[in-house]
Amino acid sequence: MTALTLDVRDVTKRFGDGETAVLAVRGVSLAVQPGEIVLIMGPSGSGKTTLLSMMGALLKPTGGSIRLDGTAISELSESRLPDIRLRQFGFIFQDFNLLSALSVLENVAIVAELAGLRGRAARDKATTLLTELGLAARLDFLPEKLSGGEKQRVAIARALINDPTLILADEPTANLDSKIGHEIMRLLRSIAKEQGRSVVIVSHDQRIRDIADRVLWLEDGAFKDIVTMATDPVCGMAVERERAVSAEKDGDTFFCCSRGCREEFLGGLREDGRADGRQPHGWSRLAGALRSRRRRASTTQSDAS
Amino acid sequence: MLLARRNLFRDRTRFVLSVLGVAVSVGLILLLAGYRAGVYRQASAYLDNTPGSVVVAEQGIRDFLGTSSVLPPGALEAVRSTPGVDRVIPVISSFVIFERHERKDGFFLIGYDPAAGGGPWRLVEGREPTADDDLVIDRTTARQHEIAIGDLVTLLDREATVVGLSEETTFWAGSIAFARAATLESLLRSPGLRSFLLVSPAQGTSAEGLVDQLDLAGTEVLLKRDVIANDARLMARVYDAPIGLMVAIAFVVGVLVVGLVIYTATIERRREYGAVKAIGARNRTLYRVVTTQALIAAVVGALVGIGLAYGAGAALMSWRPQFLVAIEPTVIGVVLASSLVMALLAALIPARSVARLEPAEVFRG
Repeated sequence: MTALTLDVRDVTKRFGDGETAVLAVRGVSLAVQPGEIVLIMGPSGSGKTTLLSMMGALLKPTGGSIRLDGTAISELSESRLPDIRLRQFGFIFQDFNLLSALSVLENVAIVAELAGLRGRAARDKATTLLTELGLAARLDFLPEKLSGGEKQRVAIARALINDPTLILADEPTANLDSKIGHEIMRLLRSIAKEQGRSVVIVSHDQRIRDIADRVLWLEDGAFKDIVTMATDPVCGMAVERERAVSAEKDGDTFFCCSRGCREEFLGGLREDGRADGRQPHGWSRLAGALRSRRRRASTTQSDAS
Repeated sequence: MLLARRNLFRDRTRFVLSVLGVAVSVGLILLLAGYRAGVYRQASAYLDNTPGSVVVAEQGIRDFLGTSSVLPPGALEAVRSTPGVDRVIPVISSFVIFERHERKDGFFLIGYDPAAGGGPWRLVEGREPTADDDLVIDRTTARQHEIAIGDLVTLLDREATVVGLSEETTFWAGSIAFARAATLESLLRSPGLRSFLLVSPAQGTSAEGLVDQLDLAGTEVLLKRDVIANDARLMARVYDAPIGLMVAIAFVVGVLVVGLVIYTATIERRREYGAVKAIGARNRTLYRVVTTQALIAAVVGALVGIGLAYGAGAALMSWRPQFLVAIEPTVIGVVLASSLVMALLAALIPARSVARLEPAEVFRG
């Protein structure tokens, strides 16, 4: 049996006390294998970011335990956590969060220096890494001079510079166009598969499912069986099939978030066949419907861990 | 630290403003301190430049500038005959108002005997007074009142002829003028009047020993340095409170300028600091970044401020020669140290703000 990189057991996070207390994460368990890519999806406010923060030792869980390479990081004192974050985790942020006053090279080298590498050695290591990521010509550029994809590659280099065990990425493709988003996804996949690092991604981006080994659905602070999820063909919202308003069409079942969407969906399909040839809202509705069908065919994950 | 330097120099306008803020603050502190030192130096100039280490004054008089002293008759002879006395310089001092071109000004008039000493120590033009109506006045005062050698000046109810011009003789209440002792005796209608005796001990006698030996009725015998210190205290009562207040204000302004600049620079980069903290930087690393920024701004500002103070001091003395701005090396050292304190104080609030940053915030868009 392979040793787990990350072992999250029955983790709970409560904010506040008494009547105002909010249970953001409820008894979540998750095990991540070395080299595995886990994608956590879910609606806004579902607890994804809180869970990611706890996994990255940025936030202490109220209950449960989190172990990284066998070390119970949830039990460690605050004073020991910076070192764990520096050496064991690589963080990739939605907004890149590069240091605007530093060059590309310095942005990466500074993290190696924080870990104790001397200036020259840190710069050499950062140069090598950035060159591998295709940024050799951008070493002296300030972040403001880079494209979104370049910024995210710098952020990835920064996340990798201290050879972390686990990469935690928060919406890594959110601010990128489709092409660059794919490029970043491929990069994350190669980090996991070629370097054997585990990658946990929190995202709304459905495209990331393509590279993920496992997709988990977090809702109301707990993992839910992803097989029950579908996408509303009208508004694109992820909905639970059991709670959704269903619509039958041509022998297929579609799931809508509300009666309004259902009516619009059925009406839209009816209007598609109108004599005037007008296509209300174009192909997007049909594409949404097709996505919904494709998902039903492909989602087989039933257990989070 | 690279990050501190880059953060600071990234916005050049803000950096220049912070340096200027500190420079003006430090420059003002130095200028005020220099002015204060100048006032003290001018106030003690006569005693500093006149021989003697012991001062004999009227009983109860413990300073040279603040009050008039009248020695009891026979005091001069008694001091001269005291064993261990090498030299005695008797002087009469009186503050008089003179008038020239319908403008009034003050003279701290010293009456002395040219043969015994106690006259101008830096006579730059003309000669010492030889006749009863001869007068040596300060050159700066002469310029201000357009007085040249040979001109007449009205002193009380008589006129005196300016025969010489001296330097280093301006001070806070006007300037020092010199006449023969007989002139003052006549002017003040007090024949035989002596205000102070400046006494030099003979070889083998210490000034302190001489003070003990000069036990004369109706007199106060003090070390000259104590009289100078008493004059300084007198000056302090006039100058120290307002100058101290202005120095404190300048210091606070300096702290606020650096503090505000560093605080805004920190708040602006709050998210970046959060990211650095999330990545694994400890609070002390971030404190160092913030404090280094404040120190760079304060030290560069202080150095510019020192230059500014010298420039402003020279301009002030050229514009108003009666003012002396004496910027002393020790004060520069104190001001540089103050600028470091300024930086540390200025970094307090931004550092607290960084310390309170929750690294998890960086994940919340």
